[in-house]
Amino acid sequence: MKYRLTHKTEYQYTVPVNNYHSLLCLTPRTLPNQICHSFSINVTPEPAQIVERTDFYGNKNHYFSIHTPHKNLTVLTSSIVECLSEAMGPPLISADGTCGAARQRFVTDRSLKISLMEYITPSPLVKWDQEILDFAADCFRDDVSLYECVRNLCRKIYTEFDFVSDFTTVNTPIKEVLASKKGVCQDFSHLAIACIRSFGFAARYVSGYLETLPPPGKQKLQGSDASHAWISVFIPDYGWCDFDPTNNVVPGERHIITAWGRDYSDVPPLKGIIFSYGKHELSVEVDVIPV
Amino acid sequence: MLTEASVNLLQSYQSGLSSYDEVLDLNGKIKPYWQALFSTLEKLGLDELKNRNQEIISKLRENGVTYNVYGTPDGLNRPWQLDPIPFLIEQKEWALITKGLQQRAILLDLILKDLYGPRNLVKDGIIPAELVFENTGFLRSCIDIKLPSANQLTLFAADMARGPDGQMWIVDNRTQAPSGSGYTLENRIVMSKLLPELADGMYVSKLSPYFNCLQNTVSRLSDKSKDAPNIVYLTPGPNNEAYFEHAYLASYLGYTLAQGDDLLVRNGCVWLKSIDGLQKVDVIIRRIDDDWCDPLELREDSQLGVPGLLQAIRMGNVQVLNPPGTSVVENHAFLAFMDNISLYFLGEKLVMPSVATWWCGHKKELGYVCDHLDELIIKKANRKSKFRSIYGRLLSYSEREELKKMISQRPHEYIAQQEVSLSTTPSLINGNIEPRYAALRAFMVADENGYHVMQGGLTRSSPVKDRFVISNQYGGLSKDTWIVSDKTEEIQEKIVLNVPASVNKHISLPSRSAENLYWVGRYCERTMAVIKFMNITINVLNLDRNFGGSAKQEHIKVLLQALTHLSATYPGFTEEDTLSNPYTEIIDLVSNTTRPGSIASNIGSFLNSVGAVRNQWDLEIWRIVDLIDNGFHEIRNASSMNSNNIQKTLDGLFNNMFTFLGVIAESMPRDNSFLLFETGKLIERILSRTSVIQSNFGVKNEQNVENELIEATLINHHSLVNYRQIYKSQLSVETMLDMVLLEKSLPYSLVYMLDELKRNLGKLPVTTRGERLNEAQKFVLKASTLVKLANISALSKSDEDSERKELFDLLSEVSRLISSVSTNLTNMYFSHTMMQHSFFEPVDYDKDEI
Repeated sequence: MKYRLTHKTEYQYTVPVNNYHSLLCLTPRTLPNQICHSFSINVTPEPAQIVERTDFYGNKNHYFSIHTPHKNLTVLTSSIVECLSEAMGPPLISADGTCGAARQRFVTDRSLKISLMEYITPSPLVKWDQEILDFAADCFRDDVSLYECVRNLCRKIYTEFDFVSDFTTVNTPIKEVLASKKGVCQDFSHLAIACIRSFGFAARYVSGYLETLPPPGKQKLQGSDASHAWISVFIPDYGWCDFDPTNNVVPGERHIITAWGRDYSDVPPLKGIIFSYGKHELSVEVDVIPV
Repeated sequence: MLTEASVNLLQSYQSGLSSYDEVLDLNGKIKPYWQALFSTLEKLGLDELKNRNQEIISKLRENGVTYNVYGTPDGLNRPWQLDPIPFLIEQKEWALITKGLQQRAILLDLILKDLYGPRNLVKDGIIPAELVFENTGFLRSCIDIKLPSANQLTLFAADMARGPDGQMWIVDNRTQAPSGSGYTLENRIVMSKLLPELADGMYVSKLSPYFNCLQNTVSRLSDKSKDAPNIVYLTPGPNNEAYFEHAYLASYLGYTLAQGDDLLVRNGCVWLKSIDGLQKVDVIIRRIDDDWCDPLELREDSQLGVPGLLQAIRMGNVQVLNPPGTSVVENHAFLAFMDNISLYFLGEKLVMPSVATWWCGHKKELGYVCDHLDELIIKKANRKSKFRSIYGRLLSYSEREELKKMISQRPHEYIAQQEVSLSTTPSLINGNIEPRYAALRAFMVADENGYHVMQGGLTRSSPVKDRFVISNQYGGLSKDTWIVSDKTEEIQEKIVLNVPASVNKHISLPSRSAENLYWVGRYCERTMAVIKFMNITINVLNLDRNFGGSAKQEHIKVLLQALTHLSATYPGFTEEDTLSNPYTEIIDLVSNTTRPGSIASNIGSFLNSVGAVRNQWDLEIWRIVDLIDNGFHEIRNASSMNSNNIQKTLDGLFNNMFTFLGVIAESMPRDNSFLLFETGKLIERILSRTSVIQSNFGVKNEQNVENELIEATLINHHSLVNYRQIYKSQLSVETMLDMVLLEKSLPYSLVYMLDELKRNLGKLPVTTRGERLNEAQKFVLKASTLVKLANISALSKSDEDSERKELFDLLSEVSRLISSVSTNLTNMYFSHTMMQHSFFEPVDYDKDEI
């Protein structure tokens, strides 16, 4: 499936802003099952220079700064992305690939553990305690496969939690999400990652987009698609496998990957620093259009 | 030869020893260089040593050497403490220590390059992966932050202590922004001034080669094509406990002291916001920690850093010492693996061992730690966690079990260190020489040949007996550290910096410093204006109370109300109740630090502004500032003084502030700093003088009342003597106004002050193009023209309601214009004080029902 992807962010300031620094993490990655054919950034007012950089995780970042006074700032990124997820097929889990065996692998296979240490240990937004272990305990059984365990966990989050926007912020701790059983995809992803890491497995945070489908018989509205977040879990002898706890699915062609890291703090889509006295308003429009 | 007396002093010292002491060698014999020191001390005598110690204390105070918060009017400036007895190390031993330190620096540099590069240490199993990936100092945005020089670790400090076997150990590494070299230098300067004879019979190595080497390294990193590279010493600001050192080193090394928001990244370069406009920065020596360097890529709540700094470094447009990310090796767990790392990288053993350290992440080590808790100190591996070290031997059985449980839950987060009993060294404690535990910080800087070690260091000794408390945060004594030999050192060649003769000597003034200097001028004058007028008023009050009584008191009311207007402390004397009992209000106006406009509050603000630009002042000024600070503490207790003593204290304060102005006038270079200070002073002087004239003469009073007011006003303008010489005892409003408004030769007359202000503004840098005069200059020109064109006899006339409307309006207009000058200057030169906000795009996720 091929998509035209646009992501428009607009800031309006009450007082002109003289200096603005920004870091974008919005470029779709090119992967075995995803090809980014083109990518462009348009910023108004136009910055002198946009600098591209590959970060620690292999994601593409763009830095720019604006030094002319402005009250409006628009960042528009557009790309053509092709998703080939069918080519990969569903994960093949061998018969003896039980969760218990997988756990043993992380203990005995030192080089495997070292190579994944980044995603096994706590990270700035993902920490856990007994409460989180208890929450996930019934999902992780030694006699079923790790893949099944994670599916169980996603199902549990999906059924027990309510999707509520504006209840949480980027800084809401996982414990609060667990207590209130409310949040958005970023919270559910962080919770799932904490559960998986607490059992000694490797899990990472995936940031990207999801194509939404309009209600049956209705036209799709412009700007109705959204940024999205889900997780990826390392399954020994298979590799990284994505799961979407928010929607209780294994991501396929409609999930477009832009970046991954230990948690959200490694890959915020757009970060900015302004110098100003005033307030600002923000609007975001995302479109994922099949072509 | 030892005298008998010195044997006694030594003997009495020795009798207090309970552990390994610096004075003795391994066989219990007194080391010869300590003998020399003790014999000098004996000659000097304990009493003289105590005298010198007092001199040291006042010298450090005068020099403003502090290690504490300098932020609030009530903030304590904890004076830096220096023990008059130095810590001695023999050159021969120091040569060996130097080798150990250099090897340590080389190793840490190699570790840094490996961790931010291939991470072979982890791949080859030399260190556990947790040391990297769970290390809060491992900053993933810094993987491509590199200095162009061979060494990444450029500045390095190591804490050392001597164990019971006489061996020096490395206890801790300081790699991101090592502190202490400035205090070390100041210690040496004070010691050599106040106790020069202590070095008799010894040769003490110099500290200056270290600083020369540092300057050389920095200049090699800066832009070769530039005549005068711009080097910035980046401080977190006056609230930092070591701010003294930042300002001190910046001025000693000749670099510009700046805070994060004095700098700006634009077009991939770092710029200094100065009153001459933006100036490109080549090298930054930072004293802010890694995390705080760049809110865009590191801690987003940092107000101390510079947004975009990491990108500017990556683009090679600025060099930062040490490069951000270096805190990774400050993690305590590395000490446990240094032996293996040394074998791995260099194929050699450590020259100087680390204090025995166990990382609890391995089963065997965890077992050992749990079994030997009573001999160990438990710490978190990550330095940044707010975890105080736990001494195992101080714990009860149940506490120990609790600790074991805590460690076992997350063993890889903990390390344990052997609790070594450190060596003791002689210290002057309550007038006696007693043994105290000590530890030493050594300083290194990388140059093209490797690591240069400072020939000396910062020794800190514990103020309490038999306990080891040396952190400056919790109080402690510092000591000068002497590397001694009996042979004179080969004369160090003074390193000549490659500076062409045509170097641009103009040093740009950061906007923030400019603003602070301006406010130093304003607060100084504001304080003086209120003190002066208050003293005039108290004199009149006292005179009335003691000699008058029944006479008309209208002039007292006018003066008291003028005082309220002048200090803007409403309602004050505009209320009848307050007028009937003026002393209570006066005491409050003198002493209440929390009341804006009071003398105490103004001095507090003055001292803060002075502290915020402390690198601008030389020693003479610090001495005066110290006296003003004393006066500040006195007047806060004004409520317990009688009016006579209050006046005496106020007189003292006024004189000291006058001296402050005098020293500045006689010694400060006539650059932009001076101009801004003068401008602030003049603006405040104009505003305060117009306010008093307006209050005193805005309404016409009876002649005998006006006579009192005329006299008070002339005193307030420092013009009474001059007036009497010309007009004898004839007092009239018209002649008085002529003098205080128009007399060109009087420094406090309005025209004189306006002309001076005009001259000052004309010399400040031009920021607007096209027009010959900027807004501020136009305002001053207008005010001065209005005053010069005024008709004095018309001004002194009153209307049927007894109001001198013309005078009142003229002075209001002058006051308005001069206030606008201030706003205008702020916009022109100081417009950097905007708030910084960071924001993330709140991801507005939708739930997709599939």
